[in-house]
Amino acid sequence: MLSRLALHAAGALAPALKNAAPLAPGVLQASRIFHTASPHLAPLPPLPEHGGKIRHGLIPEEFFGFMYPKTGVTGPYVLGTGLILYLLSKEIYVITADTVAAMTTLGLFIYVVKKYGPSIASFADKLREDQLGQAEGLKQASLKGISDAIELEKKQQALVAKRHYLFDVQRNNIAMTLEVFYRERLHKVYTEVKNRLDYHIAKQNMMRRKEQEHMISWVENHVMKSISAQEVSHFWHVW
Amino acid sequence: MNENLFAPFICPTIMGISTLPIIMIFPCLIFTTPKRWLPNRIQMLQIWLIRLITKQMMTMHNNLGRTWALMLMTLILFIATTNLLGLLPYSFTPTTQLSMNISMAIPLWMATVLLGFRNKPKTSLAHFLPQGTPTLLIPMLIIIETISLFIQPLALAVRLTANITAGHLLIHLISSAALALVSINIVLSSVTLIVLFLLTILELAVAMIQAYVFTLLVSLYLHNNT
Repeated sequence: MLSRLALHAAGALAPALKNAAPLAPGVLQASRIFHTASPHLAPLPPLPEHGGKIRHGLIPEEFFGFMYPKTGVTGPYVLGTGLILYLLSKEIYVITADTVAAMTTLGLFIYVVKKYGPSIASFADKLREDQLGQAEGLKQASLKGISDAIELEKKQQALVAKRHYLFDVQRNNIAMTLEVFYRERLHKVYTEVKNRLDYHIAKQNMMRRKEQEHMISWVENHVMKSISAQEVSHFWHVW
Repeated sequence: MNENLFAPFICPTIMGISTLPIIMIFPCLIFTTPKRWLPNRIQMLQIWLIRLITKQMMTMHNNLGRTWALMLMTLILFIATTNLLGLLPYSFTPTTQLSMNISMAIPLWMATVLLGFRNKPKTSLAHFLPQGTPTLLIPMLIIIETISLFIQPLALAVRLTANITAGHLLIHLISSAALALVSINIVLSSVTLIVLFLLTILELAVAMIQAYVFTLLVSLYLHNNT
């Protein structure tokens, strides 16, 4: 705060300074921002897809682009060759046993990188994909679980709405059973009553038959008794 | 010629200040920790490699042995990277110095011995006598086993030093021979082939880490489990 006061005082003293951009602590010339607080840890800025372009695995493209206006396409190569020849001829770089060892080591390294580089890179990419796929699978599994739970809940709710069918069916069943029992008992009553009535009818029929038979036999007896002997012989003579 | 041969093994100094601490800390820069959930390719490969080695090495230990996992992983990574970086031209390998290897070997070995004596004294002492020895040989065998126990740290340190130093010396010698033969013969082509082979063999310096950590592990295992 005191620095701000000082800056304000400086601005009051020298009007030229007032035209400078607002000088907050941490800002110098308004183009270089120094760290004024701890950096935001989230969200992280996204990583670029590819790194900077490189030529011959060592030298960035910007170098070639930097030299192109003055020296054209062959400029950096001429510079490199001249530099190497200068170092060698002036024996600033001495060719010792280490040089041969260096050439062999670096040659082996370049060979291995050229040969196995892409496969190792694809392996690393596969590892990343696996990790991503694991997390994705977790997410999908949890989503699926939740959607399944929602489906189940909906089905249960629909079932609850149709619950009265269950009770109706049970009610109907019970009513039918009761009806069946009732009919059974009715039938039983009917048969019992019919039995008793049949008994009476049978008894009456029997009585009537008995009376008829008795009457018939009585009449027969009397007729037989009344048929005298002379009528019997008369009958036989006629015949 | 004599001085040039051992020049790579002199600890480099800048104006009289030894740069050895910087050289020893340098491999840390290779192992970056990912700040994001999906790291880049190199970090992915490093994580996969470290997980693989850890799983391989720590399966045979019980819970007490597994508390050493960080230590052992640091050990194997440090020695591996230092040896591999030493293969680059004009570099210095700290593991060629016997002082450094002994200062790595003795504390670790002594820690395992003391751990064994503290937790299972009877089992540790029982290691001095393998099973099934004839009775007459027992005194001899105990003396021999004691000597072999005390030789362990020296063996660990000297093994590593000798292997790496010998490798570097051989590379230096053969490449200087190749350089000398260029003006004489095109036997150079076969010699450079030999240098190439030697290099690939020297990449078995990484196997030296295996040897180092394995012997350490075996001793820890023996002290803890058996």
